[in-house]
Amino acid sequence: MTQPDATPSAPRGPQDPDITAAKNPVAAHPVTSAAIGLLVAAAICGTLIVPIYAHITPKVGDFPFFYFYLLAYMPAVAIVLWIVTLLQRRLQEPTGAIASDPEVTT
Amino acid sequence: MSNVNTVTFTIVLVLFVIVTVVGFLAARWRRPEVMAQLNEWGLAGRGFGTFITWFLLGGDLYTAYTFIAVPALVFGSGSIGFFAVSYTIMAYPIAFIFLPRLWSVSRVHGYVTPGDFIRGRYGSRGLGLAMAFTGILALMPYIALQLVGIQAVLTVMGVNASSTNTYVKDLPLFIAFLVLAVFTYVSGLRAPAAIAFIKDTLIYVFVLVAIFYIPTRLGGWGHIFGTAQTHFASISPETKKPLGTFIPTTKSTGSTQFDFATLALGSAMALFVYPHIITGTLASKQRSIIKRNMSLLPTYAVLLGLIALFGYMAVADPVTAANVKKSGNAQLAVPYLFQHMFPSWFTGIAFAGIIIGALVPAAIMAIAAANLFTRNIFKEFFKPDASPALETRMSQWSSLVVKFGALVFAIELPHTFSINLQLLGGVWILQIFPMLVGGLYTRWFHRWALLAGWLAGMVYGTLAAYNVKNATASHWAASSDIVFGHTIYIGITAIIINIVIAVVLTPILRAAKVPEGADETLPHQYTADPEQAPAPVPAGLGAR
Repeated sequence: MTQPDATPSAPRGPQDPDITAAKNPVAAHPVTSAAIGLLVAAAICGTLIVPIYAHITPKVGDFPFFYFYLLAYMPAVAIVLWIVTLLQRRLQEPTGAIASDPEVTT
Repeated sequence: MSNVNTVTFTIVLVLFVIVTVVGFLAARWRRPEVMAQLNEWGLAGRGFGTFITWFLLGGDLYTAYTFIAVPALVFGSGSIGFFAVSYTIMAYPIAFIFLPRLWSVSRVHGYVTPGDFIRGRYGSRGLGLAMAFTGILALMPYIALQLVGIQAVLTVMGVNASSTNTYVKDLPLFIAFLVLAVFTYVSGLRAPAAIAFIKDTLIYVFVLVAIFYIPTRLGGWGHIFGTAQTHFASISPETKKPLGTFIPTTKSTGSTQFDFATLALGSAMALFVYPHIITGTLASKQRSIIKRNMSLLPTYAVLLGLIALFGYMAVADPVTAANVKKSGNAQLAVPYLFQHMFPSWFTGIAFAGIIIGALVPAAIMAIAAANLFTRNIFKEFFKPDASPALETRMSQWSSLVVKFGALVFAIELPHTFSINLQLLGGVWILQIFPMLVGGLYTRWFHRWALLAGWLAGMVYGTLAAYNVKNATASHWAASSDIVFGHTIYIGITAIIINIVIAVVLTPILRAAKVPEGADETLPHQYTADPEQAPAPVPAGLGAR
């Protein structure tokens, strides 16, 4: 794929005309991109913000909530990241065959 | 050597011998035409698929830290130890953001180490050197932690010779370590990759058995949590404070929530910047494999969560708790728990799993540190025309040196809680986060500003960690200190200082027209997914 990510890069690096001309995939799919950003951010914040889950109750079975939450969160993150991977694939689709089989020469 | 259980000992020994043989045979696995190539010795030909990458990264991530250090902290202090669970959860989404970019640009340019990337991105040998130095320094206490883990198991097995001399007492440890050093030297990254299969099988078996079996012996999860809750609420006669916390507490009761969150965030950011994890990443053959693994690897994290609970089981089992108390070493909690709960043959399997589980990451760490030395110090500053064969030989030898550096850490630093060894490494490695991860997205930062920020972060972090004392140790006692009334992980404070300095100095240096350095990377290379592994370094043609 000959497109940059949404991020600014290399203001002083050698400029490639193809790159600057290429359509930005993030701009082309604002909803999908926002969803990706939101999912990744949520996955991080869900354990970073400790007050959310630092409680003994409600207990789930014999497990205090704190311990249950941490254990249950891991499969949740795995699923979220899997969904994100699928969404990212959609970002690349419009460029079709070129995107799926990049030929990068250095 | 009087109280050694023969069955346990035999099983550990047999498994250790099997692993050693596999380690040596691994040199023939996917055998390249020339082994004397850093891409081959250090990255196993960059040809690993999803499956092997999963095992290799898993082997990298779950170490003696997981099996010994985390449960030891949980046993000693309660819920704060669960920051490690929170951290392994957070690490994947964070890595998901930047790791594929690092893989792509390294693949296109044939970078072997993160130092190669930083040097190429900023055109700065100085920054490459800073990265190499930090990486090697940070890996030593981490390898030392693996040694402490092996030592804990050997102690409980009773194989430590009864002598007061450290070097005689730890002879079995040195032998295990020597074997590791030799097969790493011979087989490079192929050895830990092959052994990772055995390791993970053993670990999955003993953790799953333990998780279902031990609670039935201890009166169920309800009883385990109940005992832990009562235990950590009781007041210590020495400090007049509660022994620990059962859940992270809020401000009113002396906050541990902030400490918990910063420890988790700092460790998560540090994890995928560690050179050995990057080594494991670069060895895979496709960009999509990295992404796929970020959603597959959390299954290991579930394991970590369960292993952390072993700490509470050790609290709930009176015999184990008494044994650990008598030894005065919390690191022995899990080995004692297994020894008391399992028949001796199964204890042998579990102990072998822990020992091998420490050897695999130690090997990868030593390889990563050695690659940094060779590529970013030796080749850069001493012998720019080094042939691939010489590079490889240099890496092989320096992998040995790094291991002995780690021995010094293992012997010299206090190990009330060995987890501090890893957290100390984290304080250092976090200081390259701005230049490495920042560099993957932007060239805005000025190279000298990054270097200044790095230096400030390193100096602050080291001094702050050195000055932490507690009842038993006058220095290096913990990895958190109090800033503005909050207990906070030193790594986080240091990286904030680091970033602020880099941000402030960048416009100043630019205004002063200090040279920026050339950038050899192109924007599209950060998302590239080339089929072919990069060609060997041209200087190596015909070199012997």
